[in-house]
Order: sequence, then C-alpha cells, then structure tokens
Amino acid sequence: MPQEPARHHRLLPVRPLTFSPFARSVARVATAYLVKHYMHNAVQQSAGDEFKEKLKIIGRRSESSEDEEFDGVVQADFAFFDPKPDDFHGVKTLLQSYLDNKQWDLSGFVDLILGQTTVGTVVKLEDDEDNGVFSIITALNLGRYKDHKCITELKEFLLNICHEKDKIGNLRSLLGVEAQKVGLLVSQCVVNLPPELLPPLYDALFDEISWATEDEPTEELRNSFRFQFYVVVSKFYKHKNANQKRSSSTDKDEAFVYIKPEDEILHKLSMWSFLFPLQTQQVATHELKNYQLTGIVMAVKAEDISSFRQQLHALINES
Amino acid sequence: MATRLQFENSCDVGVFSKLTNAYCLAAIGGSENFYSTFESELADVIPVVKTSIAGTRIIGRLCAGNKNGLLVPHNTTDQELQHLRNSLPDQVVVRRIEEKLSALGNCIACNDHVALTHTDLDKETEEIIADVLGVEVFRQTIAGNILVGSYCAFSNRGGLVHPHTSIEDLDELSTLLQVPLVAGTINRGSEVIAAGMTVNDWTAFCGSDTTATELSVIESVFKLREAQPSAIVDEMRKSLIDTCV
Repeated sequence: MPQEPARHHRLLPVRPLTFSPFARSVARVATAYLVKHYMHNAVQQSAGDEFKEKLKIIGRRSESSEDEEFDGVVQADFAFFDPKPDDFHGVKTLLQSYLDNKQWDLSGFVDLILGQTTVGTVVKLEDDEDNGVFSIITALNLGRYKDHKCITELKEFLLNICHEKDKIGNLRSLLGVEAQKVGLLVSQCVVNLPPELLPPLYDALFDEISWATEDEPTEELRNSFRFQFYVVVSKFYKHKNANQKRSSSTDKDEAFVYIKPEDEILHKLSMWSFLFPLQTQQVATHELKNYQLTGIVMAVKAEDISSFRQQLHALINES
Repeated sequence: MATRLQFENSCDVGVFSKLTNAYCLAAIGGSENFYSTFESELADVIPVVKTSIAGTRIIGRLCAGNKNGLLVPHNTTDQELQHLRNSLPDQVVVRRIEEKLSALGNCIACNDHVALTHTDLDKETEEIIADVLGVEVFRQTIAGNILVGSYCAFSNRGGLVHPHTSIEDLDELSTLLQVPLVAGTINRGSEVIAAGMTVNDWTAFCGSDTTATELSVIESVFKLREAQPSAIVDEMRKSLIDTCV
C-alpha cells in the first residue's frame, strides 16, 4: 500500500509543547525567524530547482540547529490589526478564563469584539500563515450591547461576585442606569508578550475611541464612544497575608504582584475596586507560593486615562 | 442526531470524551452538565462512565477504542484501569499498552473494522491494536499530518477528515476504510476534527461553536438522520398499514 511522502511541513521542525494551537503558534515564533532569514537570502539568489535545493538545505540546517542549545534570542515583527472574523479562535483562547470558570456565551462575546472593527486591536505576527493572535484589546459600550446574552451574563456574574456592600451600589449603577457611558475595557495578551508593545497598544485604543467619537456614521454610535467610565476585569496575585501586612515591616514581599503591568496603574487610578475569589485552581510556582491568584474589578474615570497613558509609558520605558 | 455541547467553557468535546458503539467515557468536570448530556442521550443504550486517565481529564486524546476493546497508555494508574474494567461491559477488553507515543487518541483513529495509525507506532503496538480491537491496521497520514487520530473521525457509517485532504487521498482513504468520507471542519473552522467531536453509529456530539452547515454535513456523512430508534418503528408501521389495505 503506497505511503504518502512527508510534505514540506516536516522541513519546519516544530516541537508542539501542548496540543493547543495557541501554544503551538508561540512555539512557531521560535522557528519562524530562522527559516524566514535563510529564505530571504535564498529567494534573492535564484528560483526553481535551485530554490528547492536550498529549501532542503535550510531544512537540514535548522534541524541541526534545533539539536544544539537554543540561544534564546528570537526576532519577531508584531503588527497591529483591526479585529477580523478570522481571529475568532485566537481571541477565544485568550479570553478563555475571562470570567473565571463560569460557563457563559464566550463565543458571542468574541463575536461582539470582532464585529467592532472601528475600536479594538489584535496583535499578530507580520506574515504569519497560522494567524496566531498574541493580544487583544478593545472597549465595549455596556449600554449599546446590553441586549446581547453575553453582556447580560457578564453583568450577572459581576453583580453576583461582588461581596463588598459599599461597592455593589456603585457597580449596579454603572452596569444599569449609567451603562450608556461605561466602556468595558478588555485587554488580554500572551504571557511572554514584550512589554514594549503595551504603551502603543493602549495609545492605539484610546486614539481609536476619540476618532470614533468623530468618524462614526450615526450620532448614536458617536455618542456610544463618549465613555465616562471604564470597567476592567482582571486577575493578579495577592499575598496570602496581605491583611496582616501593615503590622510587619520586616516583610520584604509585596502585597500584590500584578501579572499585567498596566493593572498596577489602573488600580491606583481607579475610583473604586473590589476583589473576588477565583475557583479555578492554579499551579503554585516556588516564587509565588505565598500568593493567591485573585480576581479584581476596577472602575476608572475616563478623565484619568491621559494620566494612565503617561504613567504606562514611564513604567515601560524605565524597566 | 448530532448534539452540541461544551465541556466547561471549551468546545473541544472530543478531548474530554470517548464514544463508541458499546460505551462512552466522559471526563470528570467542574459542572455536571457535560456528563448529564451524554447520559440523557445514551443512558438506555450504552453505559456512560466517568473517568480520568493518568490523572488527567483529556481522556479522549489519551485512549483509543471501539466496541471490542479499549487501549489506554502506560501512565494510566492501576485504580483507573480497575475502574474501567469494572464499569465497562465484559466483552470490552481493556488493555494498558507500553508505547512511547502515549497519546493514543491522537495516534489511532478506528471504527469496529479498520484502524488508521501514526506512522511511527511500534510494530508490537500495531499487533496489539489488531488483536484487542479486532481491526485491520493501516499506517497513514491525513493531509500530510501524522496525527491521524486528531485530524479525522470515522464510524462504521461515514467519516470526516481534515479540510485540506486532497481528492486522491480522500478516495484512497475511503477505499481503505470502506466508508464514505468528506473533508470538512468542526467548531467554526477548526481543522482538528477529532478534538471537536465524538461519534458512533447512531449519534454524534459536537462542540457548541459548530455552525449549522458543519452540523448538517456531519449528520449527512455519518448518516445520523435515519439512525433514530423511532425510524425503525415508523417503517414497520408503514408496512403494517400496507398489508391492512
């Protein structure tokens, strides 16, 4: 029985770390540059059979380089794109744990994000055939989309997990009466995304919002981007003894460890915020063994955004 | 009939379950919805067994089986193996195999008569598959992918393969498997067919992102529309009326 010959994909040796396409695309970044660099030189020199020869040589060369120690430096060209329906799977993977482990209309939520092409950015590699999504950022008007199942489920989730009596009134008004002026700021990226991308990413978002207030075709749409408040749902690590922290001055550990650097700035600038416990179990690394992954919901005034942008630039540029 | 469901928030139902003509395995999940959907469809016909394999929930990708047997990887614990032997019907042989490619569900795709396997599988494993599952084994690739168990799903009545499979490959595989095959997608364009769905001769379970078009392709290629218990009764009723006249 004839066997199929192995095809070209074998020339790009990729070691999938898991079977999720998301992790595979991260692994591909590691090999994508190596092949791209050699191919650039190959294309310049010749075409046809000679090119195929060179492809085989590249295959062998990169295979042998895979066997040696990987020197850890990868060149990648990230580009910002408008959200497109093709990005569905990538964005859905990024937002998988957005509302902890609650079963909700995540697909509907992703469709909402991808449908709003005027405001929102997706970060992908420059010429990636795999269409891997590295980051998503957008702002959704809670009033405009209030009839969508995903938004009603999201509001219900937030109201249920808020156990702080003084904050729940504020939350209820932002999600209810004032929803027309509130933007849900959704921002998620892969863990190892270079932080240098964050300031331009947030600048792009807030610039798009201000352009939308002028460029959108209808008055209603223009008003829907005149946000006065932003609500952010995120996660960070809280020290298990954070409440007793104030008494001990010998403790060198910080009370909070933020996974996303912008969360620290937003938390400081927020009008109010509350924490909620997460039900998904997390794997504790050695450095974070005293910390508990906790959810946080923050509300930020739109006037404080320019200060946020400046502080984000300062934070990233100094680190 | 094809049913759409989710495991927690994931549409990859083929990862967390394994469906055959004699039994169904389901992963232990956060909510009971997953298990109860299988129960409501299958309870009267075949046993639905909750289990883990090697302490994980990705049971659909780690094991391979059909109505004759179930193969589990070497890292399955003794308790899990005993639980499976106790819960499954006696005619189903459960065997733990020593194979370095331990994700058997990704390496082996089978129905009750034929199996397609990863090209690098051990010769010994191939013999065990032929023996325990009672199938003819073919080493194949699908659209250039060696993980045949991931990129196709087939039953005794039809099969769905990776969307980029060429017509020649489709014909070749169809001849080997002796069932009609169609190249298509699952879960809104995902190419990893077996991760997104699980199927047997009369029913299929697909991820909830599966579009109506994909679902109708699945129902037609696996011949699920005719495969209803009531269809048989209706046909009999028609013939009864005929004879009455």
